[in-house]
Amino acid sequence: MLVQSPASIVEPVDASAPLEVSFDDGRTSAATPPAIDISVVSKTYPVPLARLKQFFRLRAKDPVEALRDVTLSVRRGEVFGLIGRNGAGKTTLTKIIATLVQPTFGAVSVNGYDTVRDEASVRGQIGLASAEERSFYWRLTIVQNLTFFARLYGLNARAARARIAELLAQFDLKPLALRRFGELSTGNKQRMAVARALLNSPPVLLLDEPTRSLDPLAASSMRALIGSLAESDPPVTVLLTSHNLAEIEELCARVAVISQGRIRALDTPSNLRALHKHQEHVHLTVRGITAVTARRLLAPEIEGIEVIPRDNTLDITLIREPIDDLLDKCVRTLIGGGAHIVSCHAERATLLDVLEGYEREPNNAGDTKR
Amino acid sequence: MNGLALLLGRVRAFVARDFQLAVSYRLDFFMRMLSILFVVTTLFFISQIFTGQFEARFTQWRDPLAAWITGLAVLNYFMTGFSSLATAIRSEQSQGTLESVLMTPIGVPTLIIASSAWDFVLVTFHSFLYLFFGWLFFGVTYQGSFLLAFMFLILTTLVLASLGIMSASFAMVFKRGDPFALILGTGSAFFSGVFFPTQLLSEVAGSAVANISRLIPTTHGLDGIRRVLIQGQGFAEVREPMMTLLLFLSILLPLSLWVFGRAVRRAKREGSLIQY
Repeated sequence: MLVQSPASIVEPVDASAPLEVSFDDGRTSAATPPAIDISVVSKTYPVPLARLKQFFRLRAKDPVEALRDVTLSVRRGEVFGLIGRNGAGKTTLTKIIATLVQPTFGAVSVNGYDTVRDEASVRGQIGLASAEERSFYWRLTIVQNLTFFARLYGLNARAARARIAELLAQFDLKPLALRRFGELSTGNKQRMAVARALLNSPPVLLLDEPTRSLDPLAASSMRALIGSLAESDPPVTVLLTSHNLAEIEELCARVAVISQGRIRALDTPSNLRALHKHQEHVHLTVRGITAVTARRLLAPEIEGIEVIPRDNTLDITLIREPIDDLLDKCVRTLIGGGAHIVSCHAERATLLDVLEGYEREPNNAGDTKR
Repeated sequence: MNGLALLLGRVRAFVARDFQLAVSYRLDFFMRMLSILFVVTTLFFISQIFTGQFEARFTQWRDPLAAWITGLAVLNYFMTGFSSLATAIRSEQSQGTLESVLMTPIGVPTLIIASSAWDFVLVTFHSFLYLFFGWLFFGVTYQGSFLLAFMFLILTTLVLASLGIMSASFAMVFKRGDPFALILGTGSAFFSGVFFPTQLLSEVAGSAVANISRLIPTTHGLDGIRRVLIQGQGFAEVREPMMTLLLFLSILLPLSLWVFGRAVRRAKREGSLIQY
C-alpha cells in the first residue's frame, strides 16, 4: 500500500508539483503520472444570448465565475477529498472532469486524455455517482436501468448480466432487483447511483456525497467499499466530494478546500488541521476537590483556565499547544491537591474548523466577480 | 467488439429501454390503436360524400379514402422523423437523465440514431395500421412497387430527421420556442397535400403559397408515395420528386449534424445540459 508523504500546500497552491511517494518497505520513487490533472482551470458561466440582449438593450445578469485558476493533481489509486460549502465550485469542477461542462480556460486530463479533445475516451475512464435521483428512469426496474447503462458503456449482454449481478450483491440490492427505481428508498437510490458508476469498472470514480441518504450501517459499508477501491488491483482513483467532513477525514489521503471557486488549501487532513488550529482545548473532569481549591492551585500555574462545578465533579478546561507540558503540570497539581481524575478529553481541530477558517478569511483574489 | 456491433448494441439498448417504458403504460398502447381505427372509419364516412365527384385531373384523389389514409400514414412517419429526436432530448432533459446518458462513451451520431429508434419502430407499426385498417375494413387497394414506396418513405424521413436534428439543437440550447416545429409541425399537413390536392393551393391561394408547398420536403415525399401506391407509377416516372429529396438530404444532413455538435458544445459551455 502506498503511504504518501505529507505535502503541505497552503496558498499559493502548487498541487501539480511532483511529490515523492514512500512505500511500506522503505522504497521511494517519483509519483506516478496523475489520474486527474487539473491545470489552471477557470469557469465562467456565460449569460445566454448575451450579445442579443446587449443589442436590444435588455437587462442581463452578470456572468457567474464558478472556478478560478484551479490547479491540482489526483494520483492514481488515491482517495482525494474536495470540500467546500454550497456554491463553492465543487460540482462544476466534478462536471468538468466528467466532460459535462467545458472549462472557460485551462485544461483537465484524466489518465492522459483531455476532457475537451478526447471526451469519449475520458468518459470510458470515469464513473460518476451524483446525488441526483432524477438521473434514472423511474418506471424501469433496477435491472432494466443498469442493463441500459451497461450496454451504453459497451458491455455485451452476457458481460452486462454478470457485472450487474456482481454489483447487486455488492450493494445488497439483489432482493430489490425487479423493483421499479421510483419505488426505492432514497438510500437505495443512492446505492444504485454508485453501482451504476462502477458498471464499466472505471479506473477513476467521481463520487458526489455517496453516503448522503444512507443509514449509519449502510454508510459505513459504503465507506469501506470506497476505501477498498483504492486498494484494489488495479487501484481505483476516487474524487470524493462530501459535506460529511468526518467521512472525508476517514477516507481521503489528501483534501482540497475550495471556496468561491478557488482552491484555498490542499494537504493531508492532519496537516490541514495542524496548519489551521495550533491550540487545542482539553476538558478534564475531576472529583474530590472543591472549585475554590482547584482555582487556587491552578490559577498561578496555568493562564486562562476555566473551572465549572457540576453535581459531584468539576469540569476544568485549559487551552494548550499540542506538545507543551501544560496538561502534565495541571494533572500533577490536581492529584497533588487530592483530586481524582475522572476523564480527560482533548478537542482536536476538525476539517469543519479548517473550512470555517477559510470561509472567514477574505478571498485573496481582489477582482473576483462573485 | 467492432464499431458496428457496438452501435447496434447501443441502439438495441435504447429500443429495449423505450419498449420497457412503453409497456409500463399498457392502456396507452391499446388506446392509440383504437384511435387509428376511429380515424380511418371517420375518413371512410367522409369519403362517401365525395364518391364519384372528383375531377379527372386529380388522379391521386379518385379514391379519397386511399389518398387520406396514405397521407396520414406517411405524414405520421415524416413527423416522427422530424420530431422524435427533439422529443427524446426534451424528455431526457425534463427527466434529468440526459447527463447520465451523455456520461457514457456514446457519440453524438449514436445518440441521434439510438434515441429515435423506438419512435420509428412504433410509427412503422402505426402507419401500417392506417393502411391495414383501410384494406381490411374498407376495401382500399394499393398498387405499384412497395419497395419504391418504401424508398420514398426512408428518403423523406431522413430529410425530415435532418430538420429534426436542427430542431433538437434548438431544444438543447433554447429549451422551447423551436421555429422548425412551428413551420413543419403545423404547416406540413396543410402545405403538403395530406387532405387535399396541392394543385388547389395555386388555383385558390396563388403561386406564392404553392411555392411554399414546394419548399417542404413532405410534399415531394407524399407525392412520390401516392404516385407509386395509388397511380402505380414506376421508378422512371417518379425520378423528379426523388431527386428533389436527395438534394434536400445532401444539404440538410451534414448541416444538421454540424449544428447539433455545436449545440451540445454550447450547452456544455453554459452548463445548461440538464436544464429544461
